[in-house]
Amino acid sequence: MWITFERSGGIMGRKMSLALDLTNLPEDEAQSLRLLLDEMNFFALQDDLPTSPVPDGFHYAITVRTETVTHTIHTTDMSASPSLRALIQDLSTRARTQRKPI
Amino acid sequence: MHRHACVLCITPPHLLQEIARNGSDLQRETALRTIITSEQIRGQRRAMRSVMSFLAAISAGEKQRIVYDAKQGSQLPGTLVRSEGDPAVSDPAVNEAYDGCGATYDLYSDVYDRNSIDNNGLQLKSTVHYQKGYDNAFWDGTQMVYGDGDEDLPAEQRLFNRFTISLDVIGHELTHGVTQYEANLAYWDQSGALNESLSDVFGSLVKQYQRKQTAAEADWIIGEGLFTANVNGVGIRSMKAPGTAYNDPMLGKDPQPAHMKDYVSTIEDNGGVHINSGIPNHAFYVASLEMGGYAWEKMGKIWYKTLTDKLQARSTFQDAANLTSEAAAELFGTNSLEQQAVSKGWAEVGITVNGGTPGTGDGCLTSILRALGLAQ
Repeated sequence: MWITFERSGGIMGRKMSLALDLTNLPEDEAQSLRLLLDEMNFFALQDDLPTSPVPDGFHYAITVRTETVTHTIHTTDMSASPSLRALIQDLSTRARTQRKPI
Repeated sequence: MHRHACVLCITPPHLLQEIARNGSDLQRETALRTIITSEQIRGQRRAMRSVMSFLAAISAGEKQRIVYDAKQGSQLPGTLVRSEGDPAVSDPAVNEAYDGCGATYDLYSDVYDRNSIDNNGLQLKSTVHYQKGYDNAFWDGTQMVYGDGDEDLPAEQRLFNRFTISLDVIGHELTHGVTQYEANLAYWDQSGALNESLSDVFGSLVKQYQRKQTAAEADWIIGEGLFTANVNGVGIRSMKAPGTAYNDPMLGKDPQPAHMKDYVSTIEDNGGVHINSGIPNHAFYVASLEMGGYAWEKMGKIWYKTLTDKLQARSTFQDAANLTSEAAAELFGTNSLEQQAVSKGWAEVGITVNGGTPGTGDGCLTSILRALGLAQ
């Protein structure tokens, strides 16, 4: 399973991204991400965006790919469900600790 | 409506005024609406003037600040930690949000005669400690929200400090509120970049006004103090020299252009609203430097009048150039030094005042939406 994560917007307007291959993660971390995705039924989620953009708000795009299916959702801090927020928090922390210019 | 009509009939005016002064928020709102409605119904213009004086008297000059703590969660507004008039607390983020709101309120009130975000005494609400490791601040349509930067990382990996640390960021966020109540500039492409630029302009002016700095003395940096010592940068944007605020192996290089020839067409960041804002930002800087003295006095007034009286939701950079020139003429006279400084500011970024037919402000994002039938 692969996860790609992109964060854009914010007061800096700076893009940050992350590409994860779960097979390269320690098993407990990979398992924890799989559980989060199952819990929120990720592959059934739809885009959840406010009707008008929030000034300086972050915009997130998350894609999960398995051998058989690929699904992308777009969301924001203001519209994400608690479980989706937990996933965003996890992916943001990983992206922030491996920051690279885009 | 019926309930208001009933109150209108029964409650004597002096009691309504008492409730408007001292009631709960809901009672105050109901009483004020009733006072206004009753006088409108009566059609008494003289009485209306006295009502407006009364409203001004109970709200003018009164800051109403309130600060909440999200305690690293996402629930807004969070736990109340400081209200107007309360003494400082031990948490610097709370005090910075409170004081920064005060400094922003003061600039708008003292210089532009504006009573808060909505010009009607709106309570200034802030939430600090939003989420964990949240390197951002935003205006959610009703309040300011601030993260703590990289507080969750080891010190050697931290790039961002808490976002309340920067006074111009607080002024920036509050000005998004002012823009929402005034020109309501659509948050994409050129109108979105103007929205961002106005927040930078007045955010910087809040800092300059507090420090009593002239245009020549000011640093014109947005986000001063936001970066830790690990970052090669002075802030997130420079109005004086867009594109030079940071150049760092971890953060990349400041992408802002300072001239129309370098305008960035992109679908990211709502059509590059934080990128192309460098162009109108630099126009304001050049005009202010050309005029000399305190930037909030002349150029600030011209930009404020343009924001509150002239700009519209889909205004473009060309519109902003034409309208700031128009505002300068109205405030200081045709061909005044002020109007000439405005022209010079825009010329420096490649825009001639009244030099052409204003464009639609379409960028990549609008063009794509239009092609999909999602924009008019």
